[in-house]
Amino acid sequence: MTKQKRDNLVSAGIAAASVVFLLWVIPTFTPPYPGYGVSAALLPNLIVGLILLLSLVSLGVNLFGPQKNTGQEELPDEDKVHLGRLFSFLLPCLLLFPAIKLAGFIPSGIVFMLLIQFFCGQRKPVTMVLVAVCSVGFMYALMRFGLKIPMP
Amino acid sequence: MLELMLAGFIDAIHPLNLLFVFAGVTGGVVMGATPGINGPMAIALCIPLTYYMSPIAAIGFLVGLNKGAFYGGSIAAVLINTPGTPEAAATSWDGYPLSLQGKGEKALRMALFGSVSGDFFATMVLILVAAPLAAVALYMGPPEIFALVCLAMTIIAGLGTQSLVRGLIAAGFGILVGTVGIEPVSALPRFTFGVYQLERGIELIPIGIGMLAFSEIIIQLERRYRDSKKEGGADACLLAFSTKREDRFISWQEFRSTIRTILRSSVAGTVVGAMPGLGAPVASFFAYDQAKKRSKTPEEFGKGKLEGIAASESANSAVCASSLIPLFTLGIPGNVAAALLIGAFVVHGMIPGPLMFEKNAQFIYSIYCSLLLANVFLLVVGRAGLKGFCKILQTPAVILYPIIIFTCIMGSYLGAYNPFDVLLMLFFSFIAYFMKKFDFSHISFIIGFILTPIWETSLQQVVISSQHDPYMFLTRPVAMGLLAITAFIVFKTARGSMRKESKA
Repeated sequence: MTKQKRDNLVSAGIAAASVVFLLWVIPTFTPPYPGYGVSAALLPNLIVGLILLLSLVSLGVNLFGPQKNTGQEELPDEDKVHLGRLFSFLLPCLLLFPAIKLAGFIPSGIVFMLLIQFFCGQRKPVTMVLVAVCSVGFMYALMRFGLKIPMP
Repeated sequence: MLELMLAGFIDAIHPLNLLFVFAGVTGGVVMGATPGINGPMAIALCIPLTYYMSPIAAIGFLVGLNKGAFYGGSIAAVLINTPGTPEAAATSWDGYPLSLQGKGEKALRMALFGSVSGDFFATMVLILVAAPLAAVALYMGPPEIFALVCLAMTIIAGLGTQSLVRGLIAAGFGILVGTVGIEPVSALPRFTFGVYQLERGIELIPIGIGMLAFSEIIIQLERRYRDSKKEGGADACLLAFSTKREDRFISWQEFRSTIRTILRSSVAGTVVGAMPGLGAPVASFFAYDQAKKRSKTPEEFGKGKLEGIAASESANSAVCASSLIPLFTLGIPGNVAAALLIGAFVVHGMIPGPLMFEKNAQFIYSIYCSLLLANVFLLVVGRAGLKGFCKILQTPAVILYPIIIFTCIMGSYLGAYNPFDVLLMLFFSFIAYFMKKFDFSHISFIIGFILTPIWETSLQQVVISSQHDPYMFLTRPVAMGLLAITAFIVFKTARGSMRKESKA
């Protein structure tokens, strides 16, 4: 996919989402006008309308404007989305707090740190365990005894 | 008055008070460098510690904390492109490229000098001209504030992206996110989608950590994974530091070349900080934009230009002192940190406001002296800690990144002790990942989000007070002028973009 094609898709997607917001999300999820002052939907309608206009302008310029020399080549690797790697980091983070609720801060924290280090490319087991235990222990001591914060 | 001033200064230089100011600055630098902890949070966490201190020590400690945090935010921004605070994001635009060139220590020195200079300038303004400056800020009514925020968003939308359109779209998304929560007029939930945790709105901390720090870590890890065969594998350090003197220190010539920028940015930061609601991120991006426009070599910005670092840091540090101007003179806090300081003042038996100058003049002068001393301590702590900060960054990336990820998660939790904030942080890091890939400015998003409450409130006040009269702006020349400047900037940027595209 070329950069220009992706930009067009993104602009079209934003325009479509804006229409959905204007027609359904904003009327459904904003409180009704109370009869005084300003409607709660004023600012959201204004902003989403502006987003719709800007995305259509961007799409229009790309499709019907003068053809550019840049943006026609294939996307470089650094601009591509790597969903696998993204989720490999997000998933342990999402599961951390439920795990803390089940097993406690220290065991869950240590397992989390071991997993994250593995995904970051660490392969030395002794270093992994040391870093996991020290960082979780330090964080626990700081929050519990230093700042007296209620632990999750 | 001279006697009161001298007495106040003598109180401030008591060894115990000096110790607490020093401790505040040091703690602030450490906390500011940690993703998730900024100046206001550091103050909020440490206010209980000040209950048993004297009033001078307590306020000196808290102000030192705030000052240290402003500089601390730039450390992570410069060295690993993960700003500890939103206002340090502009610092990373030139700081991080310099670090990649092996000049991280030089970039940190410039950030330190900019911070101390901006802070010193604003502190002197606070001491000398606090009252008249606050009076000017009072003349800004809702139409002027609305127009000023429009101008600020337009300027900032053009930064951090190649396209003003995408910057404005990003700012629009930020504003939309800022409307989540309780609607201010009807006091009913808006865009909460039945999730009760959203009724208190979305806090800045999860957005800041997710968009500035966490998403950047993921992208850097992607880059390292891609280059892992060339980089030498798991033990590669994040950065290398040059040992050449010219790459580590700032020469007198280099510092002299940034003096004008520092002065201009300090003025910008002082003025923005004196106006309640705008805050350090707006000052820092505005100053960066102005420094770039006035530079003879604007194309060098974003590639390791010392002036970029100086502009951002001096502006955001100037806000730290100037936000106390409306607090001391009118009792109105200039930002969140100043609002928290009101609590500290009240705990120690002082009510901020104009009467404080009559009833507690000696205390005020002690605070002024503490502010100046905190600047000196910041210079000392910053210089002493430079090598330490750089040493920490020479830890292998596979050790440092997981620690930063864990700190980001716990930092998000610290804001309101609510695991839902961690979920929000991860959600916004997911959004920011895509924004960075598709060249939408996450900075514009954050600024739009920060400015939404003041913008919506001023818009509603304008509509209500004018009784839905759309021509009321015509009766406010300052507001009209600001809106005209906004329209001019949009037109000029659009024309510039069209010219660039026709040449491409």
